[in-house]
Amino acid sequence: MNISIARYIVAILAAIGSVVALAAPESEEEALALAYGDKDTVSIATGGKQTLRLAPSVASVITAEDIAAMGATDLDQVMETVPGVHVSKLVTHNISSYQIRGITGNASNPQVLLLQNGIPMNTLYRGDKGEEWISQGLENVARIEIIRGPGSALYGADAFSGVINLITRKAADTPGTEFGVRGGSFNSRNAWVQHGGQWGAVDVAAYLNVGATDGSKQIISADAGRLHGATLAPGPENNGFDAVDGSFNLGYGKYRLNAGYKLRDNAGTGVGPASALDPVGKEKSERISADLSWKDPQFAQNWELGYSGSYLHYHEESIMRIYPPGTTFTTGVLPNGVLSGPGRWEDQARVSGYAAYSGFSGHHLRLGLGHDNLNLYKVRTLRNYYIGTTPGPQFGVISPDLAFNGGQLVDYSVRLPHLTTHDRKIDYLYAQDELKFASDWRLTAGVRHDNYSDFGGTTNPRLTLVWDATLDLTAKLLYGQAFREPSYNEMYGINPNSNGNPNLIPETIKTLEAAFTWQARTDTRVNLNVFRYDMKDVIRSVQNAVPGTGSVFQNTGKQHGSGLELETTWDASSSVRLTGNYACQESVDEATQQDAGYAPHHHLYLRGDWRFASGWLSSTQINRVMERMRPAGDTRPAVPDYTTVDMTVRTDHSKSRWEVSASVHNLFNATGLEPSLAPGTVIPNDLPVVGRTVWLQVMHRL
Amino acid sequence: MAGLLCFALLMALAGKANADASGSTLMKVALVSGTGPVAVIYPDIGEPYFTVFAQLIGGIEDKIKMRIVKYAVGQNEDIADLKTTLHRQNIKVVIALGRQGMKTAASLDRDFGVVIGGVITSPENNLHELPVNSLSPDPALLFSHLRELMPAARRVFTVYDPHQNAWLMRLAKQAAISQRLELVAYEAQDLRSAVLAYQKILAASDRNQDALWLPQDSTTVEDSSVLPLVLHESWSRNLAVFSSSLGHVRRGVLFSLYPDNAALGRHLGETAQEFLASGDYGEHGMVLMREVLMAINLRTATHLGLDASPQQGFDMVFPEQ
Repeated sequence: MNISIARYIVAILAAIGSVVALAAPESEEEALALAYGDKDTVSIATGGKQTLRLAPSVASVITAEDIAAMGATDLDQVMETVPGVHVSKLVTHNISSYQIRGITGNASNPQVLLLQNGIPMNTLYRGDKGEEWISQGLENVARIEIIRGPGSALYGADAFSGVINLITRKAADTPGTEFGVRGGSFNSRNAWVQHGGQWGAVDVAAYLNVGATDGSKQIISADAGRLHGATLAPGPENNGFDAVDGSFNLGYGKYRLNAGYKLRDNAGTGVGPASALDPVGKEKSERISADLSWKDPQFAQNWELGYSGSYLHYHEESIMRIYPPGTTFTTGVLPNGVLSGPGRWEDQARVSGYAAYSGFSGHHLRLGLGHDNLNLYKVRTLRNYYIGTTPGPQFGVISPDLAFNGGQLVDYSVRLPHLTTHDRKIDYLYAQDELKFASDWRLTAGVRHDNYSDFGGTTNPRLTLVWDATLDLTAKLLYGQAFREPSYNEMYGINPNSNGNPNLIPETIKTLEAAFTWQARTDTRVNLNVFRYDMKDVIRSVQNAVPGTGSVFQNTGKQHGSGLELETTWDASSSVRLTGNYACQESVDEATQQDAGYAPHHHLYLRGDWRFASGWLSSTQINRVMERMRPAGDTRPAVPDYTTVDMTVRTDHSKSRWEVSASVHNLFNATGLEPSLAPGTVIPNDLPVVGRTVWLQVMHRL
Repeated sequence: MAGLLCFALLMALAGKANADASGSTLMKVALVSGTGPVAVIYPDIGEPYFTVFAQLIGGIEDKIKMRIVKYAVGQNEDIADLKTTLHRQNIKVVIALGRQGMKTAASLDRDFGVVIGGVITSPENNLHELPVNSLSPDPALLFSHLRELMPAARRVFTVYDPHQNAWLMRLAKQAAISQRLELVAYEAQDLRSAVLAYQKILAASDRNQDALWLPQDSTTVEDSSVLPLVLHESWSRNLAVFSSSLGHVRRGVLFSLYPDNAALGRHLGETAQEFLASGDYGEHGMVLMREVLMAINLRTATHLGLDASPQQGFDMVFPEQ
C-alpha cells in the first residue's frame, strides 16, 4: 500500500469519524424524521402524489392501513366505524343498509350514493347499490371517502343521506406483485393477486380475486311462511355466495382508465325474498364497468380542465322460492311452493366535463356539465303464480294460476311482468365558487341542476362557510339540499301490492350543520358535528283510497331529525393510537309524530391500535349500538342494545415479503339484533347479527 | 481500468468454474451474482422509513442499470464479514445510506469509493474528500420558493446550532444574497437560548417582508416547546414560517421542501458512476439536496393572505381535508 493511498484512507476515516461524532439526533428514525416527518407524513411522502378531493361536507377518510388494522374484509365492516353510520341488514338478499344519521326505513337503501373512483355504482331497479350486491371486498381499495349529509350539489341523485367513494389502487399503491390467501369461518375462502408497475410511460395496476363462502347461518325463529301454512322456521339464513372481482387501472399522462368486474354467483337469498326462508333459491349479479378520464390541472394560466366518460353494465337475476311447498293461499295450494325468477339488465353511460378558473383574485370557480343515459333495457319475469289484478278482494293476492303455469316457472312477461323497461336520460349543470372574502373566512357556494327525462328538473344548492379561527381550530357552517330520484321500481314497477307511479317526484332533504375541527394537542384531534335535517316527499307505498285496489308508491312522507357526532384520535405514544367516536340522533316521522324507528339513537365506537412488539401490530375494536325504537304501528318492544368486540393481529410487512394477519369478529359471541320492518308480523323476532367469526390471512410480495 | 479488467477476468474464471461444476459448457449469464461493482449499505430499519431507503435504492438502480449488491446493516454489524463479502463481490464503490450505513462505511478501510447519502448530520469541518449527500434542502431552493409565494419578502430569520449547521449557514447567506434576501441568522447552542432567540425574532418581525426559516437542527428546532411557540405566535402575527422538515407543514408551517427519493437515488447513482469512471466524485464534502418536492399548507397560506391554490402543482398539500 503506497503512501498516497494510506493518506487518502486516513483522511476518509477522519472525515467520517468527525461526521459520526457530531451526529446530534438520538437514532436513525429521529434523524430521518427531521427530513420526512413522522410516520403519517412519511407515508404520504413515499406514497406518490396526493389526490385532492373536491371540497367535502363532512368527510371521513379510511385508508388501506385503517382497513388492515380493523381487520375489515367487507365495506360493511368499515362503514360501521364511521361516526353517524350504523350498518343494518335488510331481510331480502342479505343486503346491508347504511343508516346515516337516522335516515332509513326503506325496504332497500337508496338514499346513499355509492361511487367507485367517482363513478356512480347505484343500480336502477331500487336506486340502491343493487339487490344482489352481496358483498364488497377491500383488498384492492386504496382508500374510502365518506361524506355524511347531502351531496347533490356535486354528485346529483342519491347523494341524500351520504356519499361513499371507493378509490381503488393505482400502480403507486401496490408496487410490485402481491398474492394473498384468506380462510375463515363459514368455509369462507378467497385468493387474490395484485400488481402495480410501469409499462414504459404507462402506470398499470391490476387485481383479481376469487372466493366463496357458505355464508353465515343465523337462525330465524319465525318467518312469513307461518302466515301461509308452511314454514321452514326455525331455520338458518342462506348467505353463501361465490365471488370474482377484477380491476385494471392505467395511467398515461393526463389520462386515466379504470375497468372493473364484479361477479356474485350461486348466492343465497338471505332470509328469503318475501321474508320466508328459502334454502333453494339462488341469485347472481354481474357488473362490468369502465371509465376514462382526462384531467389537466394546469391547462392554461389559471385554468384547469377535465372530462370523463364511463360505462357500466349490470344485471341481476335469480330463481327463488318465495314460499315453501305446502303454502296455502285463499285461492289454493302451490305444491312446489311459490317460485319466482326475476331478472333485470341495465346499461349506464355517462359523459361529463368541467373547468375550473382561478384567475379572479379571491375566487375559485368551477363549472361542470354532463349527460347520463340510464337504460334498463331487459326484464325477465318468471313465476309460477299470479297476483290478482282485478279490483276487489282478490286484488294483490297470490294465486296458483295452475292452468297457465302448471306449478312450474314460466314466462309471465306478457301477462304480468314485474317491471317495464325504461331509458332515463339526465342532463345536468353545476357551478361552484370558493371565495375568500376576509382573512381566515371562506365561503363555498354551489348549485346543481338536474333535468330528468322522466320526472323533470331539480335544483340543489349548497353553502359552506369556513372560519380558520385559530391555528388549532376550524369552524364550519354548512347548508345543503339533496334529492333522491324515484327508482325504476317506484316509477315503473308492476306489483299490485306496491305499484309503480310514473308521476312521482324526487324526495328532498335539507340539512343545516355546524362542524368543528380542533387540534387539541399535537397528538390529539377532535371533531364535532351538529346537524338538523328535514326530509319531504318521502316515497312510500300507500294504500289506495278505493279498497281492493292495492297500494301504490306516493310522495307522502315527511321526516326530520337532529343529532351530533363527536370523534377523536389520540396518539397516546409512538406505538399506541386510540380512536373513538360517539354519535346520537333523533328522527321523527311527521305523519305519526313518533320516532322514525330502526336507527340507533346512540352509537359508540372505540379502537386501539398497538404496535406491541417489533414487527407486530394489534387492533381492538369495541362497537356499541344503543336505543333503537320501533316506528309507529310496530308494537314490539324496543330492540335491545348490543356490543361487539373485534381483535386483529398482524405482522408489519415492511421488510419481510410475507405478511400474516388473523382476526376475530364478535369475539365474545354477543347476541345482537337488527330490526325487521314494521309492523313486525312477518319476522317478529328481528334479524340476529353474526356470531363470532375468525379468519387467517397470508400475503406475499414478490 | 485495471480493476475492471480483473473483475472481468474473475467473472470469466468463475463462470468457467461454475460451468465446469455444473457439467455444462454454456457460460451462465448471472455468475457469482451477476452484479456490478456497486454496493449499497442501508440501515436495517422498519416502517415507515424503510420505504424511504427502498425508494432511494430504486433510484440508484434506475441510474446504474446494473444489479447492485444491497446490505441491510444493523447496530452490531459484523464489519469483517461485510468487508470480506464486498471484496468477494469485487465492489469498487459503496453507497452508504443513513446514519447506520455511514457508520458502517466508516469502518471499511479499503480503497472502496464511498458515497454517503440520506443523512442529516453536519460536520464541524467540511469533508473535502467524500460526497456526503445531506437531506437538508438547498437554501437557494427554499428562498426561491419563498420569493414565489411571497414576492414582498426581504428578510429571512433563522436560529441554528453552530455545531450542527455553521456550514449550512455559510452557504445559506450566499444563497440569500443571490435571491435578493437578507439572512439574519442567530446562533444558539442550547434550547434555552434558542427560545430566547425566537422570542426576539417574533417580537421584531415585520409580517410584510420577513419570514422565519426552521432548518434541520435538533438543538434549536424542538418539537414540544419551540414548535408550538413558533406556530402560535407566527399565526397570530401573520408571520410566514417555512421549514426544512416536512412534518412541520402538517402542523401549520407554510411550506417545506422534502426529498424526492427516486431522484435523490439517481443522483447518488450518478455520483457513484462518476467515481467508477474517473476516480473522482465531482461534488464532495457536504452536498446540499436539490432533488426536492414541495409541501404547502394552504390553510396557512390563506391565513397569511398569500395567493396559493392546489392548481399550482404542489407535490403535497395540507391540510388533507
